[in-house]
Amino acid sequence: MTLAQTQATDSPQTATTPRRRRRPLTVGRTLLYVFLVIAAAVVLLPMLWALSTSFKKRGDMFTYPPKLLPHPFTLENYQHLLQQQPFFRWFGNTVLVATISTVVVVLVCSLAGFGFAKYRFAGKNALFSFMFGSLAIPYAVVVLPLFVVLIKVGLTYPYFALIVPWVAPAFGIFMMRQYIEQSIPNELLEAGRVDGCSEFRIFIRLVLPLLRPALGALGVWSFLNTYNNFLWPLIVVSDPKYYTLPLGLATIYAAQGRQIDLVIPGAVLAAIPSLIVFILLRKQLLEGLTAGSVQN
Amino acid sequence: MSTQATASRQSGSREPGHPRLRKKRPGRFAPYIFISPFYILFVLFLLIPIIVGFYLSLTDWAGFGSPQYIGLANFRKLFSDAQFFQSLRNTLVYVLVSMLVVVPLALLLAQALNARGLKLRDTFRLIYFTPIVLSPIIIALIFQLLYDKNFGIFNAILRAVFGYDGIDWLGSEIWAKVSVSILIVWRWTGYMTIFFLAALQGVSRNLYEAAEIDGAGPAQRFFHITLPSIRPVTAFVVVISLVGSAQIFEEPYLLTSGGPNFATLSVAQFVYRDAFQQQRIGYAAAAGVVLFVIVFIIGQVANRITGVTRSSV
Repeated sequence: MTLAQTQATDSPQTATTPRRRRRPLTVGRTLLYVFLVIAAAVVLLPMLWALSTSFKKRGDMFTYPPKLLPHPFTLENYQHLLQQQPFFRWFGNTVLVATISTVVVVLVCSLAGFGFAKYRFAGKNALFSFMFGSLAIPYAVVVLPLFVVLIKVGLTYPYFALIVPWVAPAFGIFMMRQYIEQSIPNELLEAGRVDGCSEFRIFIRLVLPLLRPALGALGVWSFLNTYNNFLWPLIVVSDPKYYTLPLGLATIYAAQGRQIDLVIPGAVLAAIPSLIVFILLRKQLLEGLTAGSVQN
Repeated sequence: MSTQATASRQSGSREPGHPRLRKKRPGRFAPYIFISPFYILFVLFLLIPIIVGFYLSLTDWAGFGSPQYIGLANFRKLFSDAQFFQSLRNTLVYVLVSMLVVVPLALLLAQALNARGLKLRDTFRLIYFTPIVLSPIIIALIFQLLYDKNFGIFNAILRAVFGYDGIDWLGSEIWAKVSVSILIVWRWTGYMTIFFLAALQGVSRNLYEAAEIDGAGPAQRFFHITLPSIRPVTAFVVVISLVGSAQIFEEPYLLTSGGPNFATLSVAQFVYRDAFQQQRIGYAAAAGVVLFVIVFIIGQVANRITGVTRSSV
């Protein structure tokens, strides 16, 4: 939002200047593009290489010199993976867990963000600092005692354990508070109150619809986080029926003598939902992530 | 600019109609109700586990029976445990790579992306960001294909171009660290770039033009205008990189399982391994407490130096 504004105010100036500076910078420009294209290649080539490898015959994966393109082209690896492993079950688990988590995260965080952005109440600053401080708690440190606690109270049912402990990320609240402070006018809330709406109703009917961009950003962030999470499923899920995709892939890879021909197609398939979600909601995600940090 | 705006808006909201509201409305409990789901989850799944973690660190426990209180014995043992120190040193390498390679490289990329009139800026930004949306296991598998000693593409290139027989990327202690570091750079740089780019786009062009008229060269402009203007975001990026890399787990675990000979074992993996593979839960919890303290101190120091959260809280 703010980005768009700055760019808009900048563009009239840029429009007046380019003629003066474009010519002498040609060499610099070329180098600039070369640099950017090389960086893009460094990012993309490993992914494309994996994609190409996934369509090679098993024997062709391990040859020297390596074949750049799969020839002959085969879907065998995908067929083997899908026949030998409960890939779709893992995929379903992951999407289910990620979707439920995302819905709850978005609700919990927008509610709390609204509370912090638009109300004054006793203990607000202390509660906020407390929440904000928890951002610095290493995830890797919490998982061990959290697992012990869940075992002790008997709450290790996989779907519960995969979802519930992680639906209140402090980052999400911080992000929602920032957004609500900047985009929801107090007059709107007052108007709702004059009409006799309860505070909760104001939130649901008036505020929530205006939060769509931020909800989208937080939603993608949360979905990708849960979908890709590895350490927690590794600790908490022992029954292969309830594996998530990353855990399933890591297990095939570790267990069966490093079967590259099974895991590479698995990696390609597992990447598809992440990439689709990311590409569809890229604007919200990138701008939502940076908005919070840049405004300060 | 916007901070001022929000501040004035907030103070505006406090005055009008507030006394009236406070007396009559049942809604004064509303904010507590709004934030309560978060704090209930926070206490149950974060605060209590942390307290339990501190308690466990003072016990000897293999996961069955009840934990035996042994005071600070775990910590004494930790500080004479060569493998724990090795994991600390390895983690320090990852932290340094993040600070000295990822952060500067991200700034450089952002600076390049911020060039005036650049074509395809959004496409480049999108491409650089992609690695972070992929699961670490996917990335580790992709890099296995590159690093493989016999058939990996890296060694194939070395062989074809230099006639060199190739590097044991994942099998030698030094190269394994390098391999994990490359993966870290590949995975995180584009993510940090978007924060820098957003900050750079917020720096007024007028400042640069004024400096140019005053005869400042590109380097001077960078150090005297760019860096000071984006300081808050730099601070933010530095803190999240520090805290993130200090607790790194997935990259080394998935690529090298911490080997060879523990050369890539991180502290977080040390905790995981002792707890879940060696059933030394009290000992692992103690290592966790040490990691917690380290990250906390790093966070505080970085905060103090850069003031990242002061303005935002």
